[in-house]
Amino acid sequence: MNQPVRPISEEDLHAFVDGQIDAERRREIEIYLRERPDAAERVATDIAQRAALREAFALHAQQPLPPQLNLTRLVEQRLARRRAPWRTAAMVLLTLGLGVGGGWWAGSRQPTGISALAREAAMNFAVYAVDPRRPVEISVAHREEMAHWLSRRLDHPVAPPDLSAAGYELLGGRLSASPHGAAALFVYQDAAGRRLIIYVRPMATGRETTAIQPIEAGKLDGCAWIDQGIGYSLVAAGDYPKLLELSRHVRQEVRARG
Amino acid sequence: MLPQIEACIPALRRYAAALLRSRQDADDLVHDCLVRALDKLHTRRDDGDIRAWLFAIMHNLFISQRRRSVVRPDSAPLGEQAEIFGVRADQESSLLYREVVRELNGLPEEQRQVILLVSVEDLSYTEVARVLGIPVGTVMSRLSRGRERLRRAAQEPVRSGLRRVK
Repeated sequence: MNQPVRPISEEDLHAFVDGQIDAERRREIEIYLRERPDAAERVATDIAQRAALREAFALHAQQPLPPQLNLTRLVEQRLARRRAPWRTAAMVLLTLGLGVGGGWWAGSRQPTGISALAREAAMNFAVYAVDPRRPVEISVAHREEMAHWLSRRLDHPVAPPDLSAAGYELLGGRLSASPHGAAALFVYQDAAGRRLIIYVRPMATGRETTAIQPIEAGKLDGCAWIDQGIGYSLVAAGDYPKLLELSRHVRQEVRARG
Repeated sequence: MLPQIEACIPALRRYAAALLRSRQDADDLVHDCLVRALDKLHTRRDDGDIRAWLFAIMHNLFISQRRRSVVRPDSAPLGEQAEIFGVRADQESSLLYREVVRELNGLPEEQRQVILLVSVEDLSYTEVARVLGIPVGTVMSRLSRGRERLRRAAQEPVRSGLRRVK
């Protein structure tokens, strides 16, 4: 504050024009400009142009907002988007319901083998995975305990595969019922709140091994396969290529675990 | 935090319209900006500097849209100013507005952005640097070069008009 007047720079003149300057420096510049008609004219032009630009564009800020820029509406749309997976799944359930009446069970023959497995997986998704609050029986916090318990009930070692590299975090798992006894269900969720399940149960017959097969139930996509007599199905809403990739990853992980 | 964001929407529209020279494109850009801001809202710890944050989001969207699009706004014809500025046509100073806006539109985009953010949006030089992701020194040199050109352009026919506004 007590130092002699600092030289006035180009930047000072801009800061003067834009009012980004403290009062003392402002005074110094005013004194400087009084003695420099050239600089004073330059600054006057800048100030006038600045004001003209503000005036010219002022209208844009005064127009009424179109509905697409209504923030409340955008927030609501966003919430609706996040709820969408549950709504989709409700439609799947409906599709399955129609399937029951219309053909799947025609002639009282239940689907068998891998198609039965896929169907159970889709039903489990529709019933459990869509529940926003309680999709699982045992949360991921008790991962070990859950794996131990499910392995015992299925009479076969099962553990939730790690899908975190693909953005899906394990929420937990539950015991589920199948025509062939106990089944294990693992539920995952990605950052957008989309859920994915892996459904595991022993197959009725032998120690068969199949290729990974695509399944489709309404809006749901996924894969099913059998490894050494144990059936696996991975189901989520949409994006089959990604689900196929994940299925391959799961199969590898299960095999690596022995 | 939503009220603070809402308060910035008019300014975002103004900047986008000046940048894109089309009201529709501008509102689309602002819309995308708001959606992105809502997505990223949870990453913010406080309310500080919401304005600069929103402008930065919009700037980044603008850049990535620009990269994707074949038609560069820079090379597009100036367009009819009457569409954007027609409302002022009956006013005495409309000639001056049109002149300055025309000159502004003739500037390289990097200078135009800095002038708009500084002169019209009242962002500080530091905020502009953050929004555009460039050093403050670069902000100042773009501002200098831009204003220099505007000034030169003003030195001819509308000189008296500029004086009057002041």
